[in-house]
Amino acid sequence: MPQVTIDGQVYDFEGGSKLLQFCLDHGLELPHFCYHPALSIPANCRQCLVEVGMPVKDRQTGELKRNEDGSPVIQFFPKLQTSCSVDLADGMVVKTHRTSDLVARAQEDNLEFLLINHPLDCPICDQAGHCPLQIQAYKYGPEGSRFEFRKVHKPKRVRLGPRVMLDAERCINCTRCTRFTDEVSKSHQLTIISRGVKNYPMTPPNTEFDEPYSMNVVDICPVGALTAVDARFKARIWEMSSTPSITTANAKGSNCFYWVRDNLVMKVTPRTNMAVNEFWLPDEDRLDYHRFNDDRPEGPQVRTDAGLVPVSWEQAYDRAAALLQGVDPARVLFLGSAYATVEDNYLLAQLAQALGAEAPRYIPHVEPGHGDGWLRTDDRTPNAQGCERLGILPVDEALVQARLADGEIAAVYVLEDDPVAAGLFTAAQLADIPVVLHHYNTTNQTLAAADVALPAATVVETIGTYVNCDGRAQRVRPAKAIRGVNRTLMMEMGKTRADQHGTPFDRWYNEAHQVDCKPGWESLPGVAERLGHAFRFKGPKQIMQQVAERVPAFAGATYEAMGLTGVQLADIGETV
Amino acid sequence: MEANNGQTKAGDWRTYQRVLLPPVKDLHRLDVYEQHGGYTALRTVLTDARWEPKAVTEEVKASGLRGRGGAGFSTGLKWSFMPPVDDRPRYLCCNGDESEPGTFKDRQLMEYNPHLVFEGILIACYAMSINTCYLYVRGEYADWISHMERELEKLYAKGYVGENIMGTGFSTDIVIHKGAGAYICGEESSLMESLEGKRAYPRIKPPFPAQKGLWGYPTTINNVETLACVPLIINNGAAWYAGIGAERHPGPVLYGISGHVNKPGVYEYPTGMLITDLIYEVCGGIRGGKKLKAVVPGGSSTPVLRADQIEGVTMDAESLREAGSMMGTAGMLVMDEDTDMVSFLRRVTHFYHHESCGQCTPCREGTGWLENLVTRIDEGEGHLRDLDLLLDLCTQMEGRTVCALADAAAWPVRHTIQRFREEFEARCKPSVFPTGDGAPAEAVPAS
Repeated sequence: MPQVTIDGQVYDFEGGSKLLQFCLDHGLELPHFCYHPALSIPANCRQCLVEVGMPVKDRQTGELKRNEDGSPVIQFFPKLQTSCSVDLADGMVVKTHRTSDLVARAQEDNLEFLLINHPLDCPICDQAGHCPLQIQAYKYGPEGSRFEFRKVHKPKRVRLGPRVMLDAERCINCTRCTRFTDEVSKSHQLTIISRGVKNYPMTPPNTEFDEPYSMNVVDICPVGALTAVDARFKARIWEMSSTPSITTANAKGSNCFYWVRDNLVMKVTPRTNMAVNEFWLPDEDRLDYHRFNDDRPEGPQVRTDAGLVPVSWEQAYDRAAALLQGVDPARVLFLGSAYATVEDNYLLAQLAQALGAEAPRYIPHVEPGHGDGWLRTDDRTPNAQGCERLGILPVDEALVQARLADGEIAAVYVLEDDPVAAGLFTAAQLADIPVVLHHYNTTNQTLAAADVALPAATVVETIGTYVNCDGRAQRVRPAKAIRGVNRTLMMEMGKTRADQHGTPFDRWYNEAHQVDCKPGWESLPGVAERLGHAFRFKGPKQIMQQVAERVPAFAGATYEAMGLTGVQLADIGETV
Repeated sequence: MEANNGQTKAGDWRTYQRVLLPPVKDLHRLDVYEQHGGYTALRTVLTDARWEPKAVTEEVKASGLRGRGGAGFSTGLKWSFMPPVDDRPRYLCCNGDESEPGTFKDRQLMEYNPHLVFEGILIACYAMSINTCYLYVRGEYADWISHMERELEKLYAKGYVGENIMGTGFSTDIVIHKGAGAYICGEESSLMESLEGKRAYPRIKPPFPAQKGLWGYPTTINNVETLACVPLIINNGAAWYAGIGAERHPGPVLYGISGHVNKPGVYEYPTGMLITDLIYEVCGGIRGGKKLKAVVPGGSSTPVLRADQIEGVTMDAESLREAGSMMGTAGMLVMDEDTDMVSFLRRVTHFYHHESCGQCTPCREGTGWLENLVTRIDEGEGHLRDLDLLLDLCTQMEGRTVCALADAAAWPVRHTIQRFREEFEARCKPSVFPTGDGAPAEAVPAS
């Protein structure tokens, strides 16, 4: 197998890889700015310089020339090479800053250049704390600066588009953003304008940077030049915890981190999963978090003559059970939800079965033309495929209306959806029938017709499984705490903070931001128990274990197997 | 010493007959050019069975022709890097971007002998089996572009360019492209980017243009003057060409001489001319009978030579390398004893600061810093330590960028300071640690 020697250590390698990527893959850090694994290699930042040598071959014989001790003679390139652009070759010898003073000096020199016209406004920069320039300048850069002149001034606070702001002075011209729009999103909405030290990225005249993936440039910007209009100046990186999860604005299930401070989601960033979203996240997924913070319900409610009134969870369960007990199970319409987890839908289906009712149906939310064949889909729900795999099929609107007209629907049990807003019923149609509703937020239109309203935990507050449009089962994890004690949730809670110094719970001191809601896998058994059907599950993990065992379409989808990147399920043919 | 070979052979420059720019009236006209043997070289290679494409390349290689664009690479060798013909397109780019300060020789060729350039292009295309050539001309040369376009139209009309040239079945198109107004567009890989309609950022090499050039296809880039030599080589033979001027760097060359000489201009002479001959004989000596102070031999990026360094130095790559400079484009800047070298360097650093494309960090940031420092010294506000910082910055820039612009910016700084250090030191503020009796009165002793 071909070998490469880096800092005296010999590594085997296979296939064609670039030196920098190889080093990063093997835990050898090399400072760099412009290189990104998903983009072309311009080698323009000149930060990843290393010494590269190759064994010398005898011109006549083609044999390797050898030193007296038998080791091959190595000839080093006269110039330092950018490791990002160097292809590995058998016998190559590399010296990084760890073993070469020349390389260490060159990297220091380069950082000195990068910083002379950089505003060094880290104290007010959103990137501070997770800024590659800041981190690498401290690690590899010079002490102080020899630059004694006025810095170059460039435009600040430029609104490139509705979602991205530019501070051109912070820009180090790595061209990651323009390469992203040219090579990945292919919108070609950004280009470098001007020349030399006055360079900065800009949109063509009279155009906006408004493509649906625009905010990705904020993540890949190695400095604070590009910031999100939505997130800038809101929270420092070290004040937030990040939780690995997935987004739910569409059926793709892109992997993400939810960043939370004081129990509020502050931003959403992509999490690399080469099988799903690679490094990217559409803007709609990133801006989909406000519903987790705002307009949230405050505890369970039941309808009395005075309208919906707050009650305890036990009272709400009692009332829901009483309502269901009073009607013929065959006349209860159970509505599953493509917004809810597999676990919750499974429990709802179990409940329907235990009562002898028809299997639940779900309301599809498909918006033709919204998808782009990449990370946005026509389907605006995250779990339609999960429902289908559980045998929960799309609801037949005509049939429901016919049954309603014939008086065959005596109760409706809704899991995390809004049938009124979806047009399945009018609020007036539901006025006379008992409705039990698990709901997300208080703008839910069905709420006006609900007899029992059980606030449901959102995707950032629960544990569960979603199946994306490609049949990949992926887990979500709680990123923010809900009111009330739930040991299962607490154990799974994201505890990483960028500074790693905080105690796990100190950021949730603000009770005002804790919502009184419960995940479906806690509230559904509460109702079921009162109907005489006790579900004996210790938690969502056990529910999923049973799903994976009993439902063939979920074979292998256990929590252990899903881990952080999910499990590809067997194809089940035509679905939504 | 090879340099001496050149010197002796170029010694008879007084009897030299001009071939690139022969003294023929209205030579730019197609009929006049043809009356004087124009396009016979093209006709020969296209019709004579002896001239297989490979044979043309071999002939050019044997002639010892070296690129006239600045780097001085063997033209025949460059042509032989083109991969074997396959079904992919192949391109020739003729580089007429000519933007190195002090260089203005391609313009003369395009004005007075455009058909020699076209003929050279066509022969080169034949040698490398190329059927599209882009002639990239500096955008500021608007008049010369329209002049060339006019002549090119006549060639198309006559069937010398386009489909089925001279009825031989060989086809080549020539497209004249107006440059995008930046120095960097003359760098061969950014020239291709510019042709592709992109921002002229130089590409990283490898891959080299012959492997992956214009639009990703095999491409050769040659200077205007280089290609103009090709018909001469075909007509007169490689041996004739190799016999002109310096042995290792032969041929006629257009010396563009500017500065403090009595008769500045473009002069065609063999390579290997003594610099002193060029200044004192060809150009009639220094203006006003002054003394020579410095010479920049080949465009502003080549290292400056002091008057005492040019004794016996000839204009060819080997002799100039020995003297500590380079041939470059043979655009010579001559400076007399009154020249302020600090001010000269200030102007040069300003140029490279203005023209750095901004792709690579060391060049983008370094060129500006160099100008800042030199300007400060020129204005009398500099410190002695600034000189060391300048040299340090040169080290930080040289060889650490994608293209050679950083080197081109750093070399003049390094060599002008090294070769005229006293002048720079005298301009700096006095040290706070004066030594000797000659310490300036305003100097503050360290206490």
